[in-house]
Amino acid sequence: MSSTTRPAPAPPDHLPKHLGATLEAGPPGELRLRVSTLAFERAARMLKDAGARFVSILLADTPEPALLAALALRGELLVLRAPTEADPVAYGSLGAWWPGARWSEQELVERSNVRPLGAHYARRLTAPDADLLDRRVQGLDVFALPYGPVRSGVFEAIQFQIETGGEDVARMQTRPFFKHRGMEERFAGLTPERAVHVAERVAGIASAAYAIAFCEGVERALGVCAPARAQRWRAVYAELERLACHLDVIAKQAETTALHVGQARFQILKETVVRLRARLTGSRFARGMIVPGGVRAEGAVGLDELSRELDRLERELQRDRRLFLGTPSMTDRLIGSGRLARTLVEDYCAVGPLARGSGLSTDARHERPYGDYKRLGVNVITRREGDAMARVDVRFAELFESLRLLRQSIEHLRRRDGELRTALPADGAGAAFGWAEAPQGELAMWVELRDGLVHRVRIASPSLRNWALFDHAFPKDVLTDFAFIEHSFGLTPAGADR
Amino acid sequence: MLTWIPRGLRAGRITTRYPAREEPAPPGYRGRIELTNATGAAPELAQVCPTGAITVDRERRLALDRGRCILCGACVQAAPARFAFAARYQTAARSRDALVVPEADAEVPVEPARQALGEQARALRRSIHVRHIDCGSDGSEEWEIQALWNPYYDIQRLGFFLTAAPRHADVLLVTGALTNAMRAPLERTWEVMPQPKALVAVGTDACSGGLCPAGELTAGGVDALLAVDVYVPGSPPAPIAIMHGLLLATGLLGAGELAP
Repeated sequence: MSSTTRPAPAPPDHLPKHLGATLEAGPPGELRLRVSTLAFERAARMLKDAGARFVSILLADTPEPALLAALALRGELLVLRAPTEADPVAYGSLGAWWPGARWSEQELVERSNVRPLGAHYARRLTAPDADLLDRRVQGLDVFALPYGPVRSGVFEAIQFQIETGGEDVARMQTRPFFKHRGMEERFAGLTPERAVHVAERVAGIASAAYAIAFCEGVERALGVCAPARAQRWRAVYAELERLACHLDVIAKQAETTALHVGQARFQILKETVVRLRARLTGSRFARGMIVPGGVRAEGAVGLDELSRELDRLERELQRDRRLFLGTPSMTDRLIGSGRLARTLVEDYCAVGPLARGSGLSTDARHERPYGDYKRLGVNVITRREGDAMARVDVRFAELFESLRLLRQSIEHLRRRDGELRTALPADGAGAAFGWAEAPQGELAMWVELRDGLVHRVRIASPSLRNWALFDHAFPKDVLTDFAFIEHSFGLTPAGADR
Repeated sequence: MLTWIPRGLRAGRITTRYPAREEPAPPGYRGRIELTNATGAAPELAQVCPTGAITVDRERRLALDRGRCILCGACVQAAPARFAFAARYQTAARSRDALVVPEADAEVPVEPARQALGEQARALRRSIHVRHIDCGSDGSEEWEIQALWNPYYDIQRLGFFLTAAPRHADVLLVTGALTNAMRAPLERTWEVMPQPKALVAVGTDACSGGLCPAGELTAGGVDALLAVDVYVPGSPPAPIAIMHGLLLATGLLGAGELAP
């Protein structure tokens, strides 16, 4: 086995032997393994065989230039770190044999000077052109139909190249990055207090999750901890966000079946949550509350009133769920649509309700509890069917789980008073991953700090990771199922494109 | 299916009466920033703003560009005697200059195209077709636009309909700082819309780029490419703010009625 740096525990037993890696000190929950660029691919492959899930591949700059791969394995985030000064950085490709790593690696190739050996990335992923289609369609009588980036209705910009003979979907190609705004670069040089505004605007519908992941990254890099009361408020905002996002998905599912009253009902519930957030924080998206080191202020709504509002919401939700699940015109369109096999979901390292709908019990709040989730205890809800219905069903169950967590957090907030903010050390330096379970799935953020300023941020968004699976979501489905399947994914292009 | 009907009726009327009646924002709502004292400011105050919305001139007079403001509250925290959040929804203005306070709020003449649109709307009993295009938003603006058709806001009661085809559209709602990949789709969408037509920039990103100013990846706002008729700043603007912007764009609402 390899030798270790300080402190000197032996590499944990659950890791494969002969990994060729050295254990390094890292923040809690983050297991840093130093490897050479030569051993990088082999180590990743051994960890994949041991059951690891791919999270991200990136170039780090702190404490030294290095190639980094983040993998999730049994309650830990494994960080393979290969320090290198080489230009270009050459290493054995992960995307060549690991579908879950493909888009992340391709993005790295197109944005920086790395050379993954053994990989061949044909089309340019990160610079899409709405008019440039892949002319090589598969099969006779098949034509390619570009759908997007401007679509009917109010949708974010993304394009799908649908190859179809009329009904069956022969091949689907998702084309993201129409909305690439370079958000990761906007963090550089800002103070953490200022950079959190950028984090909140990467994927606006998941503002709280992005703010939490960023603040967790900053706090872990600097070795500070937000006060317990601040963590409770963060959990409140995160769970309210989950309610709003899941209700949005369900309302859109009702809309696609032209179930107008159902759509109106779930829109009302969603707006109720958004308005509650506005009263609580002054922002309909709870922006400006989560800050590095804690939260800015107490929520502006009394805790008694807050729990009364949630009780009312739960009563309404129970009735509407019963009606929704008892409406065959609704459920018939979802059952069996867009079925994703568990093995496929595993290969693509999908996260969030999408993975949970195919039987994978993955949830950052449970796997690597952060903040208040260390105390709350999250029940991870899974369904085995893997179809659009299963994904909607997971969301329904998670709505009630979120309400349960909210009630628990409120109870804790009521019982004990406390500080809201820990001061960050001036001129702090360090690097760490921060993570949060966004409504779309696990979000991981690599945060580097130098002299008290943000130096580099890299984001592994759930939307980009899950979208790669969309190309495989039409095994026995026809074109008219498109909207159902898309909404059941519940992703946001803003988060994917950054 | 029948079971849904009593469920829908039970809720009663929840729709806002805006614009006939003002829709109050909840207390503490961070709708926009008011400049309460603009004179004698330290030049360093301009550095407080992450998007450069605050400027201090030679006479040490403050100016705030709401078109750049992302409502982060850094200025309110740094100088509470000068800046304050106002709990109101409406933020829209007909020109970029009108978003800068405390510049004299000069009345901007209604452009002929929009005037024609307003007259047409009145003649057709206010039927206006709206098209949306995302040019790089953070996704929250889309939520707020979608909300206009939910039972709380129900903008259809004012005759606004969402249309799938740009050729049917009278108003184009644009969100986002305008990324490179969206330039051509935006240009083409606007081109095929019939006259008279109006373009509404929704969100601070669409007004000025916000945190994504003009650069290699974004144009820093829609007006870098097309003339904007109404700006609705906000990060994101609330549904009432967007509704206010739509009413301004179609000439259905005079600048004086319920406007700031």
